[in-house]
Amino acid sequence: MSKRKVKDQQLTVGQCVCQVHRILRERFCFQKLPSAPVGLESQHKHLLELLKRTAIHGESNSVLIVGPRGAGKTMLLKSVLNELLDVKEVKSNILLVQLNGLLQTDDRIALKEITRQLNLENVVGDKVFGSFAENLAFLLEALKKGDRSSSRPVLFTLDEFDLFTHHKNQTLLYNLFDISQSAQTPVAVVGLTCRVDVLELLEKRVKSRFSHRQIQALSPMDFPQYVELVQQQLSLPQEFPDGRFAHEWNNSVKALCEDKSVEDVLRKHFNLSKDFRSLHMLLFLALSCVTPSNPTIKPSLLLEASRLCTMDCKANMLHGLSILELCLIIAMKHLNDHYQDEPFNFEMVYNEFKKFLQRKSHSVHSFEKPVVIKAFEHLQQLELIRPVDGSASRTQKEYQLMKLLLDHTQVMEALQRYPQCPTDVKQWATSAFG
Amino acid sequence: MPDQLEHLPRLTHLLPCREAQIKTLLLLLGEPEHYSYPSIFIYGHRASGKSHVTLTLLKELKMPHVVVNCVECVSLGLLFEHVLLSLFGSSHTSLPRGPSLSDFVRLYRQLCSEDPAKQTRYIVLDHAELLRDMSANLLPGFLRLQELVEDNVTVIFLSEIVWDKFRPNTGCFEPLLLHFPDYSKVELQQILAQDSCPSYSPELYSSYISILLGVFYSVCRDLRELRHLAALNFPKFCEPLEKGEAKESDAHKLWRNIEPHLKKAMQTVYLREVSSVQWEEQQQKEEKEVGELRGLSAYTHVELPYYSKFLLIAAYLASYNPARTDRRFFLKNHGRIKKTNFLKKHEKTSNHLLGPKPFPLDRLLAIFYSVVDSRVAPTASIFSQISSLVTLQLLTQVGHDDQLDSPKYKCAVSLGFVRAIASDDLHQHALRWTADHRTLHLRHHPVGSHPTSCCLWVRCGPRAAVWEPVCVQRRGIPRQPPALDQPQLCVDCAPAWHWLR
Amino acid sequence: KIHDFHNLQINQFYLSHKCVHCSSASGHFVFFIIYATRSLIIQIHQFILQEDLNKKMLDGLLEFVKKSAASFWCRDDDWMSRMRASEIPTAALVLGVNMPDHTITFESMTELLHDSLTPFVASVQAKECTAMKQLMQKVLQRLMGTNVMVDEDECHLCMSVCVCHLQKSPVKSPRKRLSSSQSEFLQSPPVVVIFRDLEAFSPQVLQDFILVCSQYVHQLPLVFIFGIATSPSTIQRMLPHSVSSLLCIELFQSLSCTQHLATIIDKLFLTSKFHFKFSAKVLQVLVGIFLYHDFSVCNFIKGLQLSLLEHFHSQPLSVLCCHKQEALVHAQQLNDRDGCVMKSQTSLLHHPQGVCQKLLKSLHKYHKNFYPALRCLHVLTSILPKYPLGKQIRELYVLCLEKKVWETQEYDSAMQLIRMLAKDELVTCLQKCVEILTFCKSKKLKKVGEGSAENRPVPPSEGNTLEVDHHALLLHPFCVPAKYTLYASTIKCINHLHHPYSSFNYSFQTLLEMKECRRTRRKTPYEILRNAVVDYIDNLVKTHLYPPESQPLYEVWYYSSSGTVRRHLNATPRTSIQTALSHPYCYLQNEALKNDSGIISSAAPDICIIYKLHLECGRLINLYDWLEAYATVATAAEGKDPSAIEGGKVDELKHARFIRAVSELEFLGFVKSTKQKTDHVARLTWGGC
Repeated sequence: MSKRKVKDQQLTVGQCVCQVHRILRERFCFQKLPSAPVGLESQHKHLLELLKRTAIHGESNSVLIVGPRGAGKTMLLKSVLNELLDVKEVKSNILLVQLNGLLQTDDRIALKEITRQLNLENVVGDKVFGSFAENLAFLLEALKKGDRSSSRPVLFTLDEFDLFTHHKNQTLLYNLFDISQSAQTPVAVVGLTCRVDVLELLEKRVKSRFSHRQIQALSPMDFPQYVELVQQQLSLPQEFPDGRFAHEWNNSVKALCEDKSVEDVLRKHFNLSKDFRSLHMLLFLALSCVTPSNPTIKPSLLLEASRLCTMDCKANMLHGLSILELCLIIAMKHLNDHYQDEPFNFEMVYNEFKKFLQRKSHSVHSFEKPVVIKAFEHLQQLELIRPVDGSASRTQKEYQLMKLLLDHTQVMEALQRYPQCPTDVKQWATSAFG
Repeated sequence: MPDQLEHLPRLTHLLPCREAQIKTLLLLLGEPEHYSYPSIFIYGHRASGKSHVTLTLLKELKMPHVVVNCVECVSLGLLFEHVLLSLFGSSHTSLPRGPSLSDFVRLYRQLCSEDPAKQTRYIVLDHAELLRDMSANLLPGFLRLQELVEDNVTVIFLSEIVWDKFRPNTGCFEPLLLHFPDYSKVELQQILAQDSCPSYSPELYSSYISILLGVFYSVCRDLRELRHLAALNFPKFCEPLEKGEAKESDAHKLWRNIEPHLKKAMQTVYLREVSSVQWEEQQQKEEKEVGELRGLSAYTHVELPYYSKFLLIAAYLASYNPARTDRRFFLKNHGRIKKTNFLKKHEKTSNHLLGPKPFPLDRLLAIFYSVVDSRVAPTASIFSQISSLVTLQLLTQVGHDDQLDSPKYKCAVSLGFVRAIASDDLHQHALRWTADHRTLHLRHHPVGSHPTSCCLWVRCGPRAAVWEPVCVQRRGIPRQPPALDQPQLCVDCAPAWHWLR
Repeated sequence: KIHDFHNLQINQFYLSHKCVHCSSASGHFVFFIIYATRSLIIQIHQFILQEDLNKKMLDGLLEFVKKSAASFWCRDDDWMSRMRASEIPTAALVLGVNMPDHTITFESMTELLHDSLTPFVASVQAKECTAMKQLMQKVLQRLMGTNVMVDEDECHLCMSVCVCHLQKSPVKSPRKRLSSSQSEFLQSPPVVVIFRDLEAFSPQVLQDFILVCSQYVHQLPLVFIFGIATSPSTIQRMLPHSVSSLLCIELFQSLSCTQHLATIIDKLFLTSKFHFKFSAKVLQVLVGIFLYHDFSVCNFIKGLQLSLLEHFHSQPLSVLCCHKQEALVHAQQLNDRDGCVMKSQTSLLHHPQGVCQKLLKSLHKYHKNFYPALRCLHVLTSILPKYPLGKQIRELYVLCLEKKVWETQEYDSAMQLIRMLAKDELVTCLQKCVEILTFCKSKKLKKVGEGSAENRPVPPSEGNTLEVDHHALLLHPFCVPAKYTLYASTIKCINHLHHPYSSFNYSFQTLLEMKECRRTRRKTPYEILRNAVVDYIDNLVKTHLYPPESQPLYEVWYYSSSGTVRRHLNATPRTSIQTALSHPYCYLQNEALKNDSGIISSAAPDICIIYKLHLECGRLINLYDWLEAYATVATAAEGKDPSAIEGGKVDELKHARFIRAVSELEFLGFVKSTKQKTDHVARLTWGGC
């Protein structure tokens, strides 16, 4: 309390926490760009150079940014673009077209989108074009007929680049790359993809027109840097209204990162993947538990968060099953053990189950067949078992061939953690013979 | 500033036994005006309160949200329209016909540029598993919607299926996973006890509930089902009290009264064999006529035309018996067959485990002709009967490739069904001049109950089967090529009749 | 009914077309014949429509819908139904496998619901909704009426729209005649969705639809109706329990189709009102098709109509097949125009010219007596063990049509059995008979009936025994016209019966006493009476149940060419192809082809030759050998000697013809090319090996 009195600008704890949430949530959820790119400095420089050349000197280019999901490709591109647009003559000059493989699922849509982003709808009006190429050419022509004789450079960014390769004979890609080859209009094509083998997806004619320039968005990070990154991500900026609180917060973060248990958690995550997304998720989970009542981020929170992140869904679902359903799963497991993962049908499973009932069961009493079928169906709904061939809907339920989508170990440990599981069922599961 | 946890007590009162989940959810959603995680994936068993909790939360906190039940969205357009309408009110610039995701995003951006989000917008997609087979790019699109539309929006997916089944093979934006565990027995007890019948004391009802759970818990933990069952059987439970035979205190008596009843309910109401209305009516009745309550599956008997019956029986034999054994069963003078390799011993058992096997039309006809021991001309109506059996789904057609030449069928009815057909007397609807001994003969037919099949068509070409058993039956002369003057028995040209139909 | 009208059109065409060539019936009868046929056909249609075959079921259904709608409204206050609120009431109609007939049923059902209960009825078929989308479209269109353009704007395609539509729309429907009793439905009538053929629906679609509907079950009083052909357990088979748990299924079973058949035969054939009869053979064919192949009443009626048309255009005397008066008029005309027609009829050989009217009258009378007698006989025989004369009346009918029934030994055995009938059985039967006779048209038998009727009031004072002779009394008037002797004798026996009771009150109550009395005297009065009765029945049969062939002019009413009917209704395409190929003479009347021996006549068309040749081959046929064989035959046809063709030199023409013939054969499905050997084709039909 006494501290805050001295502060020039005072905020209650609540307000501070609120501020913290605002800033950090923007960072973690909305992917607010950091002031300086993290980990990918070299790539950043390279890309910037490339685009500058297009923007200013008007020479065409094409480049692919390849990297695993959440490695910060988009972030990289965005930051580069920001920087690029800060340059004055570029800003006035360059045209930006941003496409996404998820949205523009075929070339017609893509073309419409391009037209829209170049706001040429009125120019195009209701002209009909023979081919895609003509149409695109017309668009670029239209640009040229703008104010100046020399046409303005256009920058195409294709997110989810690999999806564009699925379009019908890759017309869009072909034309873009073709233009980037011929020197008529300065065009830069930047593709972002998480597929390393993306070049194999390109047709020959397309491939040949692509300047095989690739940027690997892989940060050569080691663990210390990772921890550093974590700290940086969590800490508050200087311009935080309540400097004192910010200071405390940052200290607490510092302390957090030095904590032993936290380090273990982080190492685990680091070994899993060192991408930003998963890290953000982790931190976000931790952050979400920060409330005015406990205004600092503690190791315990982080541990809890990581527990949430690395939870086995299937095991969770298995807990919810009834005894009967569990028995069926065990029966399936036995069938799998017997006939090396051959598909099975309900009749077989029921047969196994009955054998078990006859042999030794005091806890589980026998059920009518329809009741068991109902349980079986429920398992199928949960997609714990899957019909082998989709077309087999016409055959009788009992005889449809199924596959169990759990492996031996999953079943066993689920069984161990199953609340008050009867012992004889456990024995049955462990027993070698069906 | 307010702390979202202040809502907690109120909400927990509304939603019993879900405190932990509510807490986490509240924390994740955070302040209305802050950003929240782009996509949250909530999974858990049916009736574990996923959608209920989420919706009450959003309603109580008065957050701008839209709930879409994916089952209902037969088309993408429907989905998009629904979302836009309820997020931005009436969308004057409506979607184009057959809109794509990009149209949706464009329109969304446009609309939200007109009124930018002051609070986080929530899109709740119930039964999210159906998104998978709507369109390949739909799910990844929604997962990173926040990024695509650059608006403060969060998509919440609800599903019974674990996230692993959703992830496309090239990966996608990973949502935040949140698990709703099923209710424990105690919790179920607590929840069910809440909707107690006004006319009785809650204690009684809760004791009743515990009995109910004792019976059903090992089979089903679905809250909805249990509630249904509880409601249906409660009157029966109260019966002794009504009659004044028992007081609320003597629980044991009540238990003895209700327990067998519940057992019965497990086979009837629980499976919807008997509709709830019937079940109630039947509880009003006295004990004596309780017996005559039959479930739906009790009515298996189907009234079929004479030849259809035999066709169906033939189909059953054909698909449950190895083809080797036909000869033994359908030929009067089959040669010596060694008992040893007649039926491999696994066949005896496994045939009914493995289910029906497909068989060609010829074999069906062969067995048909040998089972019906009158001379049946292959009229068009015989074949139309086969196809109508298929439409009735008593037979199923398999292998759609070579329709014209040799269509293959499977028998889709159980042994019990066929038995019923084989043994119901044709007196009532066969004419006087149909030799009734056929049915009798069939009833004691060795093949009626166990495996058989036809190898003479292995011996001398498929169509042999069509006529030969008949010859055998008629004149007892095997392997005599058909004379041309009685072609209707000797030739069976499937393509021809397909063409003629 | 559009299709009926259409039918008529066709028939008219058919008839007028045929009748032009119809030599015997002179021109202006044609129009009459058309008229007559049409009237008859219309008669049949009306019968089918008004005799709606499962009235009971429909009423039950109506009740069900009303009930569920009502429960929807009282849901909130009743604890039970609130607990159950999430279920959709569903009626499962088990209609039997005769698909063609279902249309009529569903039409009438929709009519019924629409008129009496609710304007919101949507009935869908499987074939028109293969996907969820179509199903939704269809249902919503039919619920909201076509004024809402569902199909063009697909975003109207969800229940929610439907909900608000139905709720805001005031119930106004032109054809709505709601009585005040149903006024409570006015503010919200139930919404009925009919799935005509459940089996054919794709389970997935059905599941989705049900799931969607269950979302709205609280806003809308939904009711489903499943039309099931096989058995209710198909619901379980198609829907997983998670879905079927959303339904509250009620079962409705229609009559078995054999009962339908019985009603139809009863209404259409066993009556003298309908002047068109079948001979035994034809009836057997039709009934056979019904029982053996399809349980379809519609098809049966179609057969009936077909034979009707055939009859009218093949049988010149069919002009007389109409009501008595008309018939007499026509007969007159026939007489003075062309008696030769009459002469030509076999049944008239022994009759002089111009007695036609008389004969016609007698024919009518014969039928009037025939059917009541038949029914009486059936009543008596259908209770006998092992049914010597058949259980169903149609069997007896066919028997009587075929021959003199009393000459068969079944009849004798039946009579034997009747003579052993226990008292009460006999009495009930006789009562039935009396009813039949009272309500029958025939004067003579009517008299009998009345006679029995006025005797009825006699109070059975001395218990059971008196009832017997009371019935004996009932029976005497039968005999009045026939035999006085029997009458007298029975009178005697009555008196003789009467006084012993007064002296020692004697009773037939128990079998024991029966026995004992049998010891006392040889025949008990009951037995005497019984014999009398049986004799009377026997006499009844002998007088009235002559087979129709015995009647002159029976061709006028009876249609007897069973072959035609069979050919039209139960065709054997394969057989005909076979015969066409093996005996081309049957189809193209060419004397050159007329040879019964197996040898291949070279005059036959190519395909026949090819076919015959291929019959001799095995599973695989070498094309080249085949060609050569063919060439030999063909050259023989040209008169050259086959040896003229030197090895392997077949001229192009023959080669081409061969190829064509083979391809034709392949098209018919006798051969097909094989993967194994390129120059061979495989036989699809089985032959000598």
